[in-house]
Amino acid sequence: MFGTLLRRRARTFFNTILHWTGYEWLRNAAFGSAGFGLLFGLHDGFYRLLKYLAGVELIGLLLIWKLTAMLLLMTFSMVIVSSLLTALTTLFYSSDLKFLFKAPLSLRVVFLDKSLESAFFASWMIGLILVPYIAALMRVRGLGAGYFLAFAAALPPFLLLAASFGIAFTLLLLWLFPTSRTRDIVWVFSSLSLTVVYGLVRFAQPERLIRPDALKVVAEYLNFLQAPTAPYLPSWWLAEALRMAAEGNGRGWALRTAGSWAMACLVYGLLVALAGKIYFIGYSGAQEGALHRRVHAFQLLPEQRLLGVRSAAALLWKERTTFFRDVKHWSQILLIMGLVFVYLFSIQRLPLDSAELKSLVSFLNVGAAGFVLAALGLRFTFPAISLEGRSWWVLRSAPLDIGQIMREKFAFSAVPILGIAATLAAMTNWILEADRFTSWLSLAALLTVGLAICAMGVGFGALFPNFLVENIHQIESSVGGFVYMAACLFYVGLTIAVLAPPMQMHFAERFGTGVWNSRVALYSGAGWLILNLVAFIVPWQLGRQALEDHE
Amino acid sequence: MIRLEGLSKSFGAYAAVSDLNLEVKPGEIVGFLGPNGAGKTTTVKMMTGLLRPTSGRVLVAGRDMARDPIAAKRAMGLVPDEPFVYPKLTGAEYLRFVGELYGVCLSDMKKRVPELLEMFELTPWGGELLESYSHGMRQKLVLGGILLHDPKILVLDEPMVGLDPKSARLVKDIFLRLARRGTAIFMCTHVLEIAEKLCHRIGVMTRGKLIACGTLDELRAQSKEEGRDLESVFLSLTGGAEYSTLLRHL
Repeated sequence: MFGTLLRRRARTFFNTILHWTGYEWLRNAAFGSAGFGLLFGLHDGFYRLLKYLAGVELIGLLLIWKLTAMLLLMTFSMVIVSSLLTALTTLFYSSDLKFLFKAPLSLRVVFLDKSLESAFFASWMIGLILVPYIAALMRVRGLGAGYFLAFAAALPPFLLLAASFGIAFTLLLLWLFPTSRTRDIVWVFSSLSLTVVYGLVRFAQPERLIRPDALKVVAEYLNFLQAPTAPYLPSWWLAEALRMAAEGNGRGWALRTAGSWAMACLVYGLLVALAGKIYFIGYSGAQEGALHRRVHAFQLLPEQRLLGVRSAAALLWKERTTFFRDVKHWSQILLIMGLVFVYLFSIQRLPLDSAELKSLVSFLNVGAAGFVLAALGLRFTFPAISLEGRSWWVLRSAPLDIGQIMREKFAFSAVPILGIAATLAAMTNWILEADRFTSWLSLAALLTVGLAICAMGVGFGALFPNFLVENIHQIESSVGGFVYMAACLFYVGLTIAVLAPPMQMHFAERFGTGVWNSRVALYSGAGWLILNLVAFIVPWQLGRQALEDHE
Repeated sequence: MIRLEGLSKSFGAYAAVSDLNLEVKPGEIVGFLGPNGAGKTTTVKMMTGLLRPTSGRVLVAGRDMARDPIAAKRAMGLVPDEPFVYPKLTGAEYLRFVGELYGVCLSDMKKRVPELLEMFELTPWGGELLESYSHGMRQKLVLGGILLHDPKILVLDEPMVGLDPKSARLVKDIFLRLARRGTAIFMCTHVLEIAEKLCHRIGVMTRGKLIACGTLDELRAQSKEEGRDLESVFLSLTGGAEYSTLLRHL
């Protein structure tokens, strides 16, 4: 039976590829190339880092293997956190579960099928990032292609064991508390863990390892370097297997790899056996809706007090209410808070000495923060129209103008995005002690970028609506999402280019190498205005028309 | 009250609806029947402004749906074939939201929302999120939503699907009462018994074309099925006689 289930996956996979249109081939080739470029960039970065570490006298090798062990430990933690989320959706909320549970299949077969799917989706991308690292390690240490095979043989049990932890945790939690509320708790807990892991990695300041002044400190901790990193975890077993393979100790590699495989089979076997007893209890409980009585008072809505316009206020109220009741959004908010903290921490740790350099970075921060805002726009603003989903008929059949719906989506996104834009600009300027001109220019630029990104998000979201998607990631990774992100980055780049001349004149004036030219500043201002008008109006109008014509 | 003039809709080369002409007068209930894929839901979507016609026009209470969609939609209430509603709103909140969109005054909502919840036996569920509602409960809530703003025209796509017998009876009585008050009702249904008992006129659509429209007696005469029930008339008009050959495959 399990073979039949596997065959249906293979059939789905090949049917999907065989039915790609020319456009889809092109699009996927573009995505593939971008991904490959990213991996190549990572490889280059890893290679430089490892080459530098290898060159450190006496402790070079020690540093490399310590870094490898730390990287694997980090990978292990990330796969666990990732599998918490995927196990929850795959094992308990997939759309095909009703079909599978109705079919004459044993629970263990269903669990095996869905848990392997969960393990794959939780780990493939994180596992893939190890490939450029290993390739860089092979280059630095002069290892042959056989080493890659040794890595490829040792990797699957490592990833499977990590995923098993997440799956087991979710399975047990849903068994102990079989309600849909558990889903919310797991979701928030996982996001919190992800934020903490992300923050910890950044606050550990790994860049110190490649700075000579920090290496003295590392040398003092030679004993620490020689000690195993979490020796009871599979990440250490893999690190040891990789080290032994690199040293030509085939027997040691084979023993550790076989041990990992045996442990993975044992753990997974126990998990499948356990699932036969408890999986259905959790599944059944997860299907029950959470009952929490809410009393609605028929009073003026807060938005109505603020805006006065009834339908616009009602739309905003609906948006706010449904947004904050969806626990998936809380987790996103946690991640954003983590992202903002890490961003500001990174700015604060920049090794900038002169006031001029600090001011320049404050200006260039418009580009980096613009990228962060575009990423937030892709997550929150661009999907806003599509997230109306199958309830779209309620708004479409109501006496509302499409423009009004779009304006409400814009307003709901603009408030937090502007808040984040202002925080990033003001805090960066404060941390870097930027001069007054640069501070005001970067603040104004970033607030405008925030507004334009919202307008483009709503416009492109309306231009590429998809009301049938099951989850938000499908919207983000769609063609529309790709076009939106590309347009945003292009717009941010143009903003920097258009505002560069006044910034340049400001620096020239400060250094006494030039004077302020009002005509150039005027042209620059006009260019900025035109750029923003185009960014606001073109996607908005195209989107509005597309949404009116949507069938 | 609602008039369809030469209404057509094509998806590429496929004509989903061709040259449809129909009028529903105040106080009239018109049923719309047809096999799956006949074009009924496409017609409903064009009537309610969810879909732009390829040609022709829809007039709602004298307003052209294409030119003045907001005024046209204000006069209309829709119950779609699948009652998807915002899962993170409660029943009472959904009704409040609909009331706000259609401009129902707050004091009316305060009075009417509990009444409507009571009428559809949803009072114990009024404070629960819609994600916990069954299909039938959502269907009743959507019906409550259109009754809240008291439209002149009702467009209903399979309004009885998922309703328990008591609720179905209640809904039928509501439609009859509304029609008596002058509301024009256009209803797509596969339940021939409902069409037979409820509708003043019945239209039969197949392959995008309206092939018959009239009272039950007029349809009987057209199909030469005098004295037979609507099922026989319908099968005769839509070529259902061939279906006995299909059963041979069983």
